[in-house]
Amino acid sequence: MATAELVLGLLSAGPAHGYDVKRGHDAWFPDSRPLAFGQVYTTLGRLERDGLVEVIDKTSGGGPDRTIYALTSKGRDHLSDWLNDPVPPAWGSADEVLRKLVAAIRTGGDAAGFLARQRASHLRRIRELRETPADDDPTSPLVREYVVAHLDADLRWLDSALDRISEQRGTR
Amino acid sequence: MNAALELERIEYAYRRNTALRGVSLQLKPGEVVAVTGASGCGKSTLLHCAAGILTPDAGAVQVDGQDLAALPEEQRAALRRTKVGIVLQFGQLVPDLPLVDNVALPLLLGGHERGEAHKAAMNWLDQVGIADDADAVPGELSGGQTQRAAVARALVTGPSVVLADEPTGSLDSRAGQELLDVLLEAARYRGAALLMVTHDNLVAASANREIRLRDGLIQHEVSL
Repeated sequence: MATAELVLGLLSAGPAHGYDVKRGHDAWFPDSRPLAFGQVYTTLGRLERDGLVEVIDKTSGGGPDRTIYALTSKGRDHLSDWLNDPVPPAWGSADEVLRKLVAAIRTGGDAAGFLARQRASHLRRIRELRETPADDDPTSPLVREYVVAHLDADLRWLDSALDRISEQRGTR
Repeated sequence: MNAALELERIEYAYRRNTALRGVSLQLKPGEVVAVTGASGCGKSTLLHCAAGILTPDAGAVQVDGQDLAALPEEQRAALRRTKVGIVLQFGQLVPDLPLVDNVALPLLLGGHERGEAHKAAMNWLDQVGIADDADAVPGELSGGQTQRAAVARALVTGPSVVLADEPTGSLDSRAGQELLDVLLEAARYRGAALLMVTHDNLVAASANREIRLRDGLIQHEVSL
């Protein structure tokens, strides 16, 4: 799960402290498991170490944490690259696609462009699987058909997402 | 090298419903392109314009560098018959004719001698794997077999362009995949450009390029 990139996306609207990041994440994905505070602070610490976020204010004292984090230009570039790259298609990859799509829309990224690239990536993977030569393993075609069926289901969802985004753009 | 098929800013409307709003595309010889999009996006209309079944309200269709609209009717019909092969969703074979006659039909209409036309038809029936059914009429065969015959009929004149409208749409998953393999192999064997209109992602996945339409315009175009 790309928690680090989602945290970068949540900070792209402006500086925030860990609690805001957690609340923002849970609002973006209300049907997924809430982000644990421990994970938020671990992630922010790692992002700071890698120069992707920076601490811009730290209130000392015995109250709640008031460390304010901001996205660095390196962090913004990393987020942009992440939003541009399609997810490697495999079964179960749709969760990651959804996270990127939501992040792209929430941060004003090119959601339609991302969906088009993701669609192409899925189609290429299906072709690779179809062109894989048969071997002696009787389970191989079963596994291949399973993966293709799931990628096909992802594609149908990608199609409807593309249409929905286009409709929303057309009505704005 | 000339494009095998070039559509330039094609527009088409059915009475007050605009189906195409200026769509352009090019297919090189041997290229496989899938046109996708939701129902009503204009993809079948695009194929019918490319086939000369519909005349665009505006824009140009060129096959092998020849502008269809610039040709006299007789030459236009001959160009369509010899350079463009069409595979539709339900085969559209003549019900009372044996497969070999169905496949030979485009050659017979073009004035070819009967024996020569039958020989070419048998070669193509063999190529698509149904030579043993040459004497059967379409009603005696499965959907997959009649679609294979439709592929043979589309290729028998040696076209530069094959246009397929939902070629696997009437078939179940396995028969659809088999037919797709036959269609791709036949187009590759002939070196023809193949334009497939499809809502089936597994068909689209076999293309070199996907063009997705929405409301009569290209929504996106990606290399695969």
